[in-house]
Amino acid sequence: MTAIDIAIPPAPGAGEARTVASRIWRMAFSSIEFRIGLVVFVLLFLAAALYPELSGIDPTKMNIRGKLMPPLFMGEGWSWAHPLGTDQLGRDMLSRTLVGLRYSLLIGVTTTVLMLAVGALIGMLSGYYGKRVDMVLMRLTDAQLAIPMIILAITILGVSRPTIPAIILVLGLAGWPVYARVMRSTVMSERKKEYVRGAMVLGATDMRIMFTLLLPLVLPPMAFVAVLDIARMMIFESVLGFIGLGVQPPTPTFGNIIADGRKYIMNAWWIATMPGVFLFLTLTSINLMGASLERARNAVYGGA
Amino acid sequence: MFVLKFLIRRLFQGAIIVFLVSALIFTLLRVVPGDPVRLMAGGMAPEALIEQIAEEMGLRDPIPVQFARYMGGVVQGDLGQSFVRPANGASVGGASFDDSTRGERAKVLGLIAETAPMTIQLALLAMVFALVIAIPIGVAGGLAPGRWPDRMALYLSSIFVSLPNFWLGIVLALLLSVKLQLLPAIGYQNFSYTILPAFVLAIEMAPFIIRTLTVSVAGVMAQSFIDIARVRGLSRNRIVFHHGMKNAAVPLLNLLGVQFSMLLGGVLVVEFIFDYPGLGLLTINAVMQRDFPLIQGIAIVTAAAFVLINIVVDLAATTIDPRLDY
Repeated sequence: MTAIDIAIPPAPGAGEARTVASRIWRMAFSSIEFRIGLVVFVLLFLAAALYPELSGIDPTKMNIRGKLMPPLFMGEGWSWAHPLGTDQLGRDMLSRTLVGLRYSLLIGVTTTVLMLAVGALIGMLSGYYGKRVDMVLMRLTDAQLAIPMIILAITILGVSRPTIPAIILVLGLAGWPVYARVMRSTVMSERKKEYVRGAMVLGATDMRIMFTLLLPLVLPPMAFVAVLDIARMMIFESVLGFIGLGVQPPTPTFGNIIADGRKYIMNAWWIATMPGVFLFLTLTSINLMGASLERARNAVYGGA
Repeated sequence: MFVLKFLIRRLFQGAIIVFLVSALIFTLLRVVPGDPVRLMAGGMAPEALIEQIAEEMGLRDPIPVQFARYMGGVVQGDLGQSFVRPANGASVGGASFDDSTRGERAKVLGLIAETAPMTIQLALLAMVFALVIAIPIGVAGGLAPGRWPDRMALYLSSIFVSLPNFWLGIVLALLLSVKLQLLPAIGYQNFSYTILPAFVLAIEMAPFIIRTLTVSVAGVMAQSFIDIARVRGLSRNRIVFHHGMKNAAVPLLNLLGVQFSMLLGGVLVVEFIFDYPGLGLLTINAVMQRDFPLIQGIAIVTAAAFVLINIVVDLAATTIDPRLDY
């Protein structure tokens, strides 16, 4: 036990790992796209985290007398109290939108973490053990890729009740195969290397090699690219909300606000369009960060 | 000979995949709560009548028995009948006085066959639009790695992927159709109704094409045979379009195979917003109405389409690049 403890930390691969991850990180961070994305994201995140509480405006509180007020400076009857106007029931659009952003981020991040975890685990087992385990797991991945997941997702949510855990589970189970494939091929090439064979000779268990030696090495580069999937899952969540299969009203989400606003599009264009602008800005900021991270990863791997 | 062997192997694998998808969706639809018979007969129907209808339709048999019976039909090309759609509403000139709740019901295969051409038309036009948008941006980016066209490609694709399709659809319909009255948006009467939905789909697809093009064009242009082509005195245009594009074609084809399910998701939403009478709208309505046979039929047909498209893609890829081996 102690011998292994001494033997593993100075392994050359493990030291390299931190530098690869940090090189990717530093390279991405130095790009202008990443910084723009980060600033926009932080601003939106703070607004979503603070505004609904600080302003004390309840996003579900109706006020029929103040209904269909336009956003600031956009037509008649606007007010500083409602910067994005109000909807058909007089509810404040800004706090509705920002609460929607909270749910969107919550579901997007949780789903991506779930996808990454399931994919990484299956890919790790498949790549490490190879042979029969690999064959079974990879056929499973193939079948999963061929299933029209969108149909499966709306079917599951359509016939059962779409709760937040159900949405996360359905979306997460749809996206893991890609991660499993990347993980598998990385682990397959890593496990042939000296430091892994060395650890085996020293008697480290499979579990120990997989989770304390290989995982810290191969997971960070994959996790960087997963940032792009957060945005993808947020879109997916809003689509589900839009067709009525997302988080149910009265909880405001981008999808259900926009679906509602579509009915009033002729005389109150802002209800459907404004939340979309916020969603678009959030997604662009995440995608800019994700794209720079991906480029940095490709550059580091290509150059190394 | 090689092609024949390849086809047999892939079709066999494909059949297994389609079978698995059928089993999965069939089981799923039967274990979830909610009785479709209750929906068909109406909320006020007495319990005894519900049981009688369910019995007649074989919905109370064990799931494996039901599945075996269903697959028996599928093998013969019979995907069953819709639970809720009357045949007279869906078939041409069927002037019957049948009670739609218990009379002749529409054939699932017929419903799919009616709507599929509309979706194919939409998808093809969307692909044309997507290529028209993506090729200039992607090729320019690939020819100048690290310089401004490359940056531009990154920015534009980040913007395109960040536009939620349903929101873009609503905004474009509001601007182009309601305010400017340039294009029709809702429903379908003639070909012009396809343009706006196809454009929205194209914006969704373009970023993936741009990325693939940028990477593969940049990769090809760094190869030594490009330098040789320059030495041979070939013009820049000829080098880019002959060598560059030819090598980018294989990754693009693969993209089509891989992104099929994403395209499907986009079609679903876009048809729903624009009330475009294709397979996507049919799917959403089937789910909303709990029309189990229709959902099953659509899932099976799309899984089969996925399998076939991937086979065609791989065949085309080997034709373009004979070094590939599947």
